Amino acid sequence: MMSSNISLYIHIPFCLKKCNYCAFYSIPDCGEDIKQSYTDALIKQINAFNTSKTISSIYFGGGTPPVLGTDRLLAVFEKLKSKFNLDTNCEITVEANPMSVTLKDLKAMRKAGFNRLSMGMQSSDDKELALLGRLYNKEQYLEAVKISIDAGFEKRSTDIIFAIPHQTKESLEKSILTAISSSTPHISIYSLSIEVGTPFYRIKDNLKLPDEDVEEEMYFLICDMMKKYGYKHYEISSFAHEEYESRHNLHYWDCGEYVGFGAAAHSYFGGKRFSNIADVNKYISLVDENFYSPTDFNNQPFISNEEKLEELIMLGLRTSKGIKADKKMILKSKRFIELGFVQINNGYLSLTESGYRISNTIIAELI
Amino acid sequence: MLVVDATQGIQAQTLANAYMAVDNNLEIIPVINKIDLASADVEMAKREIEDIIGIPSDDAPCISAKMGINIKDVLEKVVRDVPYPKGDSNQPLKALIFDSYYDSYKGVVVYIRVFEGSLSVGDKIKMMHTGAEFEVVEAGTLSTFNLQQRQTLYAGEVGYFSASIKSIADTEVGDTVTSAVKPTDKALPGFKKAVPMVFSGIYPADGAKYDDLKDALEKLRLNDASFIFEPETSAALGFGFRCGFLGLLHMEVIEERLEREFNLDLITTAPSVIYELTVKNKGIVYIDNPSNYPAPDEIEVASEPIVKASIITPSNYVGPIMELCQDRRGIFADMKYIDSDRAELHYDLPLNEIVYDFFDALKSRSKGYASLDYEHIGYKPSKLVKLDILLNNDVVDALSFIVHADKSYARARKIVEKLKDNIPRMMFEIPVQAAIGGKIIARETVKAMRKDVLAKCYGGDITRKKKLLEKQKEGKKRMRTLGTVEVPQEAFMAVLKLDDE
Repeated sequence: MMSSNISLYIHIPFCLKKCNYCAFYSIPDCGEDIKQSYTDALIKQINAFNTSKTISSIYFGGGTPPVLGTDRLLAVFEKLKSKFNLDTNCEITVEANPMSVTLKDLKAMRKAGFNRLSMGMQSSDDKELALLGRLYNKEQYLEAVKISIDAGFEKRSTDIIFAIPHQTKESLEKSILTAISSSTPHISIYSLSIEVGTPFYRIKDNLKLPDEDVEEEMYFLICDMMKKYGYKHYEISSFAHEEYESRHNLHYWDCGEYVGFGAAAHSYFGGKRFSNIADVNKYISLVDENFYSPTDFNNQPFISNEEKLEELIMLGLRTSKGIKADKKMILKSKRFIELGFVQINNGYLSLTESGYRISNTIIAELI
Repeated sequence: MLVVDATQGIQAQTLANAYMAVDNNLEIIPVINKIDLASADVEMAKREIEDIIGIPSDDAPCISAKMGINIKDVLEKVVRDVPYPKGDSNQPLKALIFDSYYDSYKGVVVYIRVFEGSLSVGDKIKMMHTGAEFEVVEAGTLSTFNLQQRQTLYAGEVGYFSASIKSIADTEVGDTVTSAVKPTDKALPGFKKAVPMVFSGIYPADGAKYDDLKDALEKLRLNDASFIFEPETSAALGFGFRCGFLGLLHMEVIEERLEREFNLDLITTAPSVIYELTVKNKGIVYIDNPSNYPAPDEIEVASEPIVKASIITPSNYVGPIMELCQDRRGIFADMKYIDSDRAELHYDLPLNEIVYDFFDALKSRSKGYASLDYEHIGYKPSKLVKLDILLNNDVVDALSFIVHADKSYARARKIVEKLKDNIPRMMFEIPVQAAIGGKIIARETVKAMRKDVLAKCYGGDITRKKKLLEKQKEGKKRMRTLGTVEVPQEAFMAVLKLDDE
C-alpha cells in the first residue's frame, strides 16, 4: 500500500502578480536579493536533510517557480540531484505561467532533467482571464504551449477554473476544447471558490457567480467532455490520458512520504506531518539558525493510528482507485451505494463522479 | 392589599384578584407602587381603582417598594384598617397553609396562619386534605431576614413550622393543618388541588445530559408540588420527560430556571393540554400527549378544555384583539369599557389556542399594553384532529400535535414550510409532509444537496481538508436523526417555536 519511495516538494513563493482568486502563500515579484537569499536558504535546508530512500517525484510549485530565475531554479534542482537518489523514472514537475517563460528557459530546464510542465490556462476566454487577474490572453497561452512543446515537454498539465463570474457553459466548453486541442495529456479542473483574504472575497457580494444549477451542469459537462476525449477522471479534480496521471499527486493520496522545502511547504515524514513557516523572510532567518534541520522533525508529534486511518480514507477517496474496503466500510456506505455516490470494484471502494461533489459529507460518514 | 403599578394601571390579573377579595369580604387596601419611575401616573392609577374596582383610593399610599418610599404609610394603614384576627386559642388547631419551601436541613418549612387553637413544638399534627401526620420539630414567626423560633403559635398569628416533612406534596397550599390528637371537624374552605393543565415534553439537547436534567427536575419539584414530570421517550428526541404545569407562565418559569440555574440546553415540544376523549369500547380517556392520541375512527367524542379569558386593553386595540380571539376560535361573551379609553373583553377560548403563542400575539397586537387572565370552565366537544409531520415518509413523533380541523390546513402548511427552510440539504431529496390519519394535507421538498466545499490539498497541505472534515463531524454531533433524515437541533427549535407571523 504505502510506497517506500518519497517525494519532494519545493515551494517558490514568488509570482509576477497575485491572481484575484489566489489564497496560496506567494508574494508578487520582489527584489533579486531576496530571491538569492531564498535560494541559498533552500539549498541549506535541502543539505540538512538526509535520506537513503529513493525519490519518486519532485515538484516545484508556487507561486510561479520560474520567477525565481532559471539559474537559481536549476541550482536548487542540481542540489537535489546530487544529494538524493532519484528513481530512474522520477517525475520532475515545474509549474509555470504563460508569461514567465521563454523557449530558452524551458529548454534549459528540460535539459537539466525536468520532465513535466504544469502551466495553468484557467480559461481561454480573454474577458474571463482579465477578471481572474491573469496577465495573458488566449493567444499568449497558445504561444506558451507551443514553446513548451518545442522545448521537449511531452508531459504537460494545465488547470481550468469553472464557475467563473459571467461564465457560460459555452465559454467553458471552449476553454476545455482549447486545452484538449493543444494536446495536453493532463488537465485539472476546479470550481472557483471564493477564499478569505483574496481580492474576490472583498467584492464577493457583487460577483455574478453562476447559480448552483448551472454550476452542477458545468461539472457534468466537464465529466462528459473529458470522457469523450479519452481522459480518465482519475482524481477528484484531475483528468488524464492513460499513463499521464500525476505520480506526485497520487503519492500524496496514497499517504506516501514527502518532504517539503521552502516557506509554507508541508511534509509528511517519519509518521509526522509538519510545515515550514509561511513567510519568506522568517523562513530565511530560521534556516540561518539551522531551524529546519532533521532534528527538528523529532519535536513534532506522531500522527495517531486513528488519525492515520482517517487520512487513508480522506485522501484515498480522492482517487478513482479508492481505498481497500473491509466489510464494515461496505456496510457503512450501503446508503451511498444505493444513492449512486459510492461504488465498489474488486474490493476497492471509490466515489462516483456524483460522489466527488459531496466528498466531505461521505468521508465524514465513513470515518 | 391591592398593589397597582403606577406606570401600567389596572391589569387583567389586578381585576381578577380584586374581585376574589371582594367576594370573600376582605378589607382591601389599595397601594400605588413604582412612583419613582418617570412614567408613573399616580392620579390615573387612583382614578382607575375608583372607577373600575369601585373602592375609594384618595388616601391610598403611594410608594416605591424598590426605593423604600412611603412604606411606613402602608404599615400604618394595615394596622388601622385591617380587622384584627378573631380566633380562640382553646379550640382545636385550625391553620391555613399559604406557602412552603424545602430546606435541606429542616425538610419542608410550612408557612401558616393560625385561625383557631395553637401549635406547639412536639405537637402531633395532621394535614386535613392529604391526611399526612407529623410531629412539629420547630415553630416560630417570620421576620424580614430570618425565622424567629417560638415554642407555640396562637390563634390569630402568622408563622412557620417544620416537622421533618420530606415531600412538599404533603403540604399543599390551601390545606388545613390540625391536631392529630384532637382534630377540628371542618377544614378551612377554598382548598383547590393544583392540577397541571399544560403539558410539554422536555428533552436535553445533548442526550448525555439526561441525568442532569432528571436531577434538576427533582430539585425543582422539592419546592413546587404543582409541577409534575415522568420519563418519556421519543423516537426523535430520545430520552426526556413529560412535564405538567399549572399554566403557561408556570411552564415558562420552569423552563427558564432549568436553563439558567441548572445550565441545561433544552428541547421542548409544543405545549399541549388535556383532551377528554370518548373512545370506542374504552369509555372516557384523558390524553395529554399527542403521541398517545387514538386513531380518528376510534374516537366517538373529542372534547377540549375551555377557559374564560378576560382581556384588558386600551380601546384602540380592541379591533385587532377581537380579530385575534376570533381567529383562535374564541366565543365572544361581552365587552365593557372600564374607563374612557380602556375596555375589558370576555371570551370563551379553547385552552389549546392559548398555549400556542397567544400571549405573544396579544402583546404584539396591543404594543404590549393588553393583559390577560383566564380560568378553566370545563370541557367542550370539538372537531379535533391529530396532525402528524413526516420527514422522508417517517412520522416524527415529537412534532405531532392536536389541532382544530378547520385550522389544520393552515398550520400544516406553515410547519412544512418552516421545516423545509430549516433542514439542510442532504444527499437525497427529502419530502416534508403533514398528514391527518394517513392523509397527506401539505407537502414541501428539501432538495438534494448539490456539492460541498472541495478543499484543495495543494503541495501536500491537507490541513484545510482536515479542518473541514472536523467541522463536518462536529456538525453531525448536533444533528438529531429523525428516521432517515438528520435534522440540526436549530431546525427543530425553529419549528417548535413556530411564530404566528
